[in-house]
Amino acid sequence: MEISIHNLKKYYGEKLVLDIEELKIKRGRITGLIGPNGSGKSTLLNIISGLDREFLGTVKYDGKLLDKDSYKKMTLVFQKPYLFRRKVYENIEYPLKVRGVNRDERRERVKNIMERLEIEGLKDKKGHLLSGGESQKVSLARALVFNPELLLLDEPTSNIDPESVKVMEREILRFNEETNGTVIIVTHNMEQSERLCHDIIHLER
Amino acid sequence: MDYIQEGFKEALKLLIGFDKEVYGIISLSLIVSTTATIIASFLCIPLGIHLGLKEFKGKRAFSRILYTFMSIPSVIVGLVVAILLSRRGPFGKFDLLYTPKAMIIAQTLLVTPLILGLTYSLSKNRGKEIERIGQTLGGNKLDIIILIIKELKLDLMVNIVTAFSRAISEVGAVMIVGGNIRNRTRVITTTISMMNSMGDYPMAIALGIVLLIISFGINSLIYSYSGDD
Repeated sequence: MEISIHNLKKYYGEKLVLDIEELKIKRGRITGLIGPNGSGKSTLLNIISGLDREFLGTVKYDGKLLDKDSYKKMTLVFQKPYLFRRKVYENIEYPLKVRGVNRDERRERVKNIMERLEIEGLKDKKGHLLSGGESQKVSLARALVFNPELLLLDEPTSNIDPESVKVMEREILRFNEETNGTVIIVTHNMEQSERLCHDIIHLER
Repeated sequence: MDYIQEGFKEALKLLIGFDKEVYGIISLSLIVSTTATIIASFLCIPLGIHLGLKEFKGKRAFSRILYTFMSIPSVIVGLVVAILLSRRGPFGKFDLLYTPKAMIIAQTLLVTPLILGLTYSLSKNRGKEIERIGQTLGGNKLDIIILIIKELKLDLMVNIVTAFSRAISEVGAVMIVGGNIRNRTRVITTTISMMNSMGDYPMAIALGIVLLIISFGINSLIYSYSGDD
């Protein structure tokens, strides 16, 4: 999935918080969004993901304007993950359920992604009772389980333990290599962006 | 003081002896209030969630009006329903006044703003985050409403119990539209009120005890459920 942005402007009240004249994010690449706080990185992710639809300009996916179908092909992992008050298994299963995937396939896919993220032991635990690192890994598993075309990550590894960071980075890279999925990641960590990203976009305040 | 002691003794006799009239009153109370609460919940929970999430013009004014209606006096609801259902009223032809159906209608109208208001407030404060997650995971509008109901089920249950408590403990609306007719529309609260004015305490005390037991039972159920969660 390729994203092209043209004359994008976002205001909060009178304040202009994002102003992008022209930007292309290439298919199958991992793109890092870096910049100081308040430069509009998270706002851009919210716009691309369809959470924020009040903006000026155009955002296109593969040449087409944003629509319901394009939103279904992408997902966003937040800095502070919100897991449902149900079992981890059911949390990860959710995006497959809303897409009408049958039970056997759901079970298979959830099992695979849990193994990859090394969270099989959490299967029956309640999502909202997990630690920060565990929650973020479950959150990534929930995002990857339906093989999105576009994976948006908003500082997914801030405030979590180094071991969990390692596992998550490995799975982000694997996702990109195996599925040719596009990834946009907001990060403040320059070393991480070097490890993960093919392209870097620097947003100014 | 003797008459109070006697009252309690008689009350226990009525309860232990499964007095037909007392249990008839208790079951009618439960049927009317439970039905009203279920109807209002089915209508108001999805609507309250939808309105809480939606941004629309006049939302602030809507909130104020809704919150005002949450504490509407039950006699006002009773009066309005009685006017509407009276023979000369627009729904007089259905001959519903002084029937349990009229009592259900009145109590449904009484608890509707309460459930709607509590759900609306819950959705406005906590629903948005769940909605965001639901959207990013590919849920459509219906999926998201179901997701929010499941996520907030405990709070919603507390809201429903609050509404049921209001329904079963109110006296004004059911008195006006039901008429407190023996063996037909007599419920716990109207009976207690009537017995008190007649100075006949045993049945009033017996029904008072039952009302307390019902409240205690429902609250215990909610607490044990929340403990499991």
